[in-house]
Amino acid sequence: MSTNGHIEKKRLETPPAKFKLKIQRREKEGAPVTWDTFELPYRRNLNVISALMEVRKNPVTADGRATTPPVWDMSCLEQVCGICTMVIDGRVRQSCSALIDDLLIASGSDTVTLQPMSKFPNVRDLKVDRTKMFDHLKQVHAWVELDGSHSLGPGPAISNEVAQERYALSRCMTCGCCLEACPQYGDDNYIGPQAIAQARLFNMHPVGKTDMDERLNGLMGEDGITNCGNAQNCVQVCPMSVPLTKAIYETNRDITVNALFGWLKK
Amino acid sequence: MAVTYSRNFLLRKLHQLTGIVPLGLFFFAHMFTNAKAMNGEKVFEKAVQEIHDLPFLLFIEIFGIFLPLAFHSIYGIIISSEARPNVMSYNYGRNWFYLFQRITGVFLFFFIIFHLLHYRFGLVPGLTDIAVAGNAVGSFQIVANDLAIPWVLAIYILGVAATAWHLAYGFWLFAVDWGILIGTNAQRYALYGCAALAFGLFAVGTNAAFSFLRPCGLLPAALCEQPVKASSSAPKSV
Ligand code: HEM
Ligand code: SF4
Ligand code: SF4
Ligand code: FES
Repeated sequence: MSTNGHIEKKRLETPPAKFKLKIQRREKEGAPVTWDTFELPYRRNLNVISALMEVRKNPVTADGRATTPPVWDMSCLEQVCGICTMVIDGRVRQSCSALIDDLLIASGSDTVTLQPMSKFPNVRDLKVDRTKMFDHLKQVHAWVELDGSHSLGPGPAISNEVAQERYALSRCMTCGCCLEACPQYGDDNYIGPQAIAQARLFNMHPVGKTDMDERLNGLMGEDGITNCGNAQNCVQVCPMSVPLTKAIYETNRDITVNALFGWLKK
Repeated sequence: MAVTYSRNFLLRKLHQLTGIVPLGLFFFAHMFTNAKAMNGEKVFEKAVQEIHDLPFLLFIEIFGIFLPLAFHSIYGIIISSEARPNVMSYNYGRNWFYLFQRITGVFLFFFIIFHLLHYRFGLVPGLTDIAVAGNAVGSFQIVANDLAIPWVLAIYILGVAATAWHLAYGFWLFAVDWGILIGTNAQRYALYGCAALAFGLFAVGTNAAFSFLRPCGLLPAALCEQPVKASSSAPKSV
């Protein structure tokens, strides 16, 4: 289904002695974009983050100019936290799981190009600010209300099918790949697939369901779910294989039913 | 808590709906009428006359076609202008279809303006100055004369192809946007169906265009009513 980074890694048969890392730089938000190219000795099992760490040790460009060490985000280094997401050779993905071998084989060149995600404010170099995604989670009420901290007894039973689908939705790590690849997302005009999927996750919860109207409201504003253009890039690029489009279309159904028949209840 | 609908939500839903009803329905009816040209001048002109004889024709034209078309096309252009196409980086079929829906839409915007000025109003310089509307008798010749010009014929074939795809994929989009078509497999099979529909509409429309140049269009003439029979079986008083 989706092209996540775990699928079979290829190896360079005759690796080059050196390869290049071409990095988009920006000193701070709003500053102009510049490019630096660094040359690194090839080593087995390098990934983009370990290559960046090499650059950081000695930030001198290929043409011999000393510069500041490039800035990027990282944490788990095993593709579960999502913070290291960037645009690598034109495609958004996690840099910790992007192997240099794979990238050189795919591009057939000796250069790997790194850019920050383009749909978020660029804090510096490869680092972006994803606060918007958390605002969107608040907008769609992506949690279940609890009455108190006392014991409420066992929760309602959930069918295996619902549990499986909810598990798939819950894997989202708020990395931003889906928003970066979505041709409709940008300039804050659309809430995007990530928040819609999380709204779905809690709308499918037996207790969460009671706040369904509130979540649908969050999806029906000017930046709401109808801005989706069904290009389905989101589900193709999601590294966690979150069933994003299914979540969008199931929510569409909830909204259609609500819109067509809701007012008849009044 | 009651759900409230934003302006954008309602406009989008209206845009999706107008694409199907009335525009989609109208396109089916339009291709069906055009296809009558396969059976010759008399049959076609009778069909045009029948349209002219519809009650409330001006009302239907304005509220059933013109206003929905104006809304769908202008809002469609606005939607298209918000797109950030990225098919080069994310080279997936559905991403291409997304882009194609917008390209065909923008093309249709210009094509439909040309088409209306041409045959509805007879206002395109160098082409017919008699409108088909209001001239049922002789309408076949008006259409045929201009379709005999290769570039005009080419524009109409392109127009039919773009509309056929835009509408057929539009059915798919509509079913998806209204939560009717949800699962991956269901979406795939529905897409095959829509592709077949697009091809069917394109074939019917293109053949109709050629029917103004030779009897039965691109099909063997034996498949169509023979002109001689058509005149003898036509009712005496029209
Ligand atoms: C004249 C210029 C036109 C423009 C600029 C235009 C533009 C568009 C655009 C951009 C979409 C995609 C909307 C979205 O994904 O949110 C669309 C959808 C659609 N269009 Fe058009 N269109 C035009 C004419 C037509 C015509 C003539 C028909 C009917 C034959 C038609 C039928 C549809 C349908 C059925 C949809 C699917 C609605 C949906 O997204 O659910 N359009 N149009
Ligand atoms: S849905 Fe997938 S691509 Fe989108 S933020 Fe979550 S994990 Fe990332
Ligand atoms: S399906 Fe919708 S949300 Fe997903 S990439 Fe396409 S437009 Fe964006
Ligand atoms: S560092 Fe956590 S996903 Fe890459």
